[in-house]
Amino acid sequence: MLTLQDVSVGFGDTRPVIAGACLELARGQRLLVCGAAGSGKSTLMQTVAGIIPRLVPAPLFSGDIRWEGRPMTSVSREELFTSIGIVFQNVEDQLWDLGVEDLIAFPLENRRMPKHQVRQRIGILMDEFKLDELRGRRVLSLSGGERRLVAIAAALAGSPRLLVLDEPTTGLDPVARLRLVATLNRLRAEIPSLLIAEQDPSAVQAVVDAVSLLKSGRLAAPEPVGDLMGISAAWQDACILPPRQRRHKSSTRATGRTLLSVAALCTELKRPDGTPVLVDVGLDIRAGEIVGLIGRNGAGKTTLFQSILGLAPIASGMITIAGEPAREWTTARRARSIAYLPQNMRRILFNMTVLEEAVFAITAGRKDANPPITLSRARAALARYGLSEQTDTNPFALSSRQQALLGLACAEAAGSQLAILDEPLLARDLDGRRMLDLFLATAMAEDRAIMLISHDLELVDDVCSRVLLLDEGRISFDGPTEHAWDCHAYGRLGWPGPRQAEPTEPDHALS
Amino acid sequence: MRFHEVNFFLKLAGALLLTVGAWFATDWRLGVPLALATLGFLRIAQVPGIKAYLKGAALLVLLVQASWVVNLMLQGQPALQALSMATGMSARLVTTTAAFFFVMETSTPGSILAASSAARLPPVATLVLSLTFGIIPMLRDDFERIADAQRARGMEIDDVGFLVRLRFALARGVPLLVQAIRMAHSISLSLSIHGFDMREKRTTWRKVGLMVEPRLPKAQDRLP
Repeated sequence: MLTLQDVSVGFGDTRPVIAGACLELARGQRLLVCGAAGSGKSTLMQTVAGIIPRLVPAPLFSGDIRWEGRPMTSVSREELFTSIGIVFQNVEDQLWDLGVEDLIAFPLENRRMPKHQVRQRIGILMDEFKLDELRGRRVLSLSGGERRLVAIAAALAGSPRLLVLDEPTTGLDPVARLRLVATLNRLRAEIPSLLIAEQDPSAVQAVVDAVSLLKSGRLAAPEPVGDLMGISAAWQDACILPPRQRRHKSSTRATGRTLLSVAALCTELKRPDGTPVLVDVGLDIRAGEIVGLIGRNGAGKTTLFQSILGLAPIASGMITIAGEPAREWTTARRARSIAYLPQNMRRILFNMTVLEEAVFAITAGRKDANPPITLSRARAALARYGLSEQTDTNPFALSSRQQALLGLACAEAAGSQLAILDEPLLARDLDGRRMLDLFLATAMAEDRAIMLISHDLELVDDVCSRVLLLDEGRISFDGPTEHAWDCHAYGRLGWPGPRQAEPTEPDHALS
Repeated sequence: MRFHEVNFFLKLAGALLLTVGAWFATDWRLGVPLALATLGFLRIAQVPGIKAYLKGAALLVLLVQASWVVNLMLQGQPALQALSMATGMSARLVTTTAAFFFVMETSTPGSILAASSAARLPPVATLVLSLTFGIIPMLRDDFERIADAQRARGMEIDDVGFLVRLRFALARGVPLLVQAIRMAHSISLSLSIHGFDMREKRTTWRKVGLMVEPRLPKAQDRLP
């Protein structure tokens, strides 16, 4: 069905992103490509889908790609994108301000499908992905996980013969992941072939037949997924954390100094049924601890930190930062004590060079009293996170991984007492995890605190000393990590615990 | 009234009529009440973003009044006459911008696509209308997002004087430009991979008449 023969792709750097990749994907095959962040997964996925070089030119492109026996270059654009569907890792790159139904219907409307058939197809996909609650919503107003599910539904709408998914579980909570896996399995007859790129193989293990490891642009031959899962050396050789293995257990402990306190917080932002997104939230974060915040997609995690930072208005409640009531503080004043690192760092980057971003983290745009010292601090922070070579690069030109590292460097340079890390992308590969561990260790050594918002329960279990569970607008569990996975509130979520095999039929957990 | 669901072309026709009326009302004694009535309608209709619009409109009125009065007086017009002409021009501009602000704020790209597709417009017209009226709110949201990013990274842009705030707002132009280019790239990519064809007229999933269906009915309410 799809053949790649000695394909190399590069974007002007000294080494190609993909180097001599060979791949045979037969009809009906379901292949997982695993590699560390920056290993070339996204480039490979976009090449396979025909995006590169047809829509995104690559200065270096060589090799032969055949689609159903024909050179891909000879396949018309309409035929190509009708037969291959793709969802990008950065799903925002393929979305614009359409409604949920509009986005799912878009490929069908463009193919002039009659109205009743389009409506029927939208209905089937929305039922399949349990998107009924999102009817009529604008895509850009959805949470990251919800957007991804809608984008996958849209990619499936036209019944492609090959579906390419680049890190499809990013931002999805465990139940949404199970739902995605179950849906992909149910639609086995409808999606003849599937190609998935992921860092964590365990999330999609149940839908693929084989795994190819990608390391520094080189793609290994596929191996049966079951054979590879237990071989740590193979994963480590590809610079990925072996699946379902504990890395180390955090031994942090709170020192007692409260850095952030939230009491009886109720937001102005409401859900469609009229109830506030956060009803009665209370929590404390103390110096010297790493606290994990978990909850379903759409539970209000984003709204919580936005409320803490003053970016979302609150109806009632008290926020205290370093012992002082912060209700009247501007967002900027709060942000000088609390650094926020979103999953998609592009959301908070706006300077023209990497060095300017790091300098801004220190000065916050104020007049710099001592520019040489500030510059020296900024350069040192960038060097610690391997960004010395990129100081003059535009932050938007960095890879997602480098942007995540820039976030860590900026947060460290700023010296904020509390850092909120929202689903860090660095947790699954060895180098990224080393950098994340460095950031966490530095924060602990300096008696700061970290709030880690993540659906990666293994990461939470590894690094957090305490877990907060946000459910139905409240903190339904607040306690030591080792008790979190057995508590009643966690049981109500229907999620598997960290490193537990995911159930193959999850529907009991979805209702 | 569900203004978001009114057919985009009806709203557009209404805005055009109002604009034509405003530009024919050369006397400020007609123009000002029309402008005020239009603003009153926006208020009653609770159009989103009206506060920001009113700030912009106030700035526009100030600039027009100042520049026209000075210019006309330099040309030898009496002050009172210059003031009345400037007021008439301000009123026309307020009516025009308010009318199109209403259309823009109450029409989503999806509803415009649906109305255009149902009207069997050529795809190029469909695309231009959707992007013209849809991209401005998107850019405004991005402008706000960049401001929030600056705030969230400790940059004080709220508790400062008007001039400093204006300077910071202007400084958002460069990142906004970068974001606009990215947005254009995303839209172009989305159109390509979803098979948008400039040569072929599209269909729509929505039921379109004087009103445009805002959402698919719930599963149990859908007709077989």
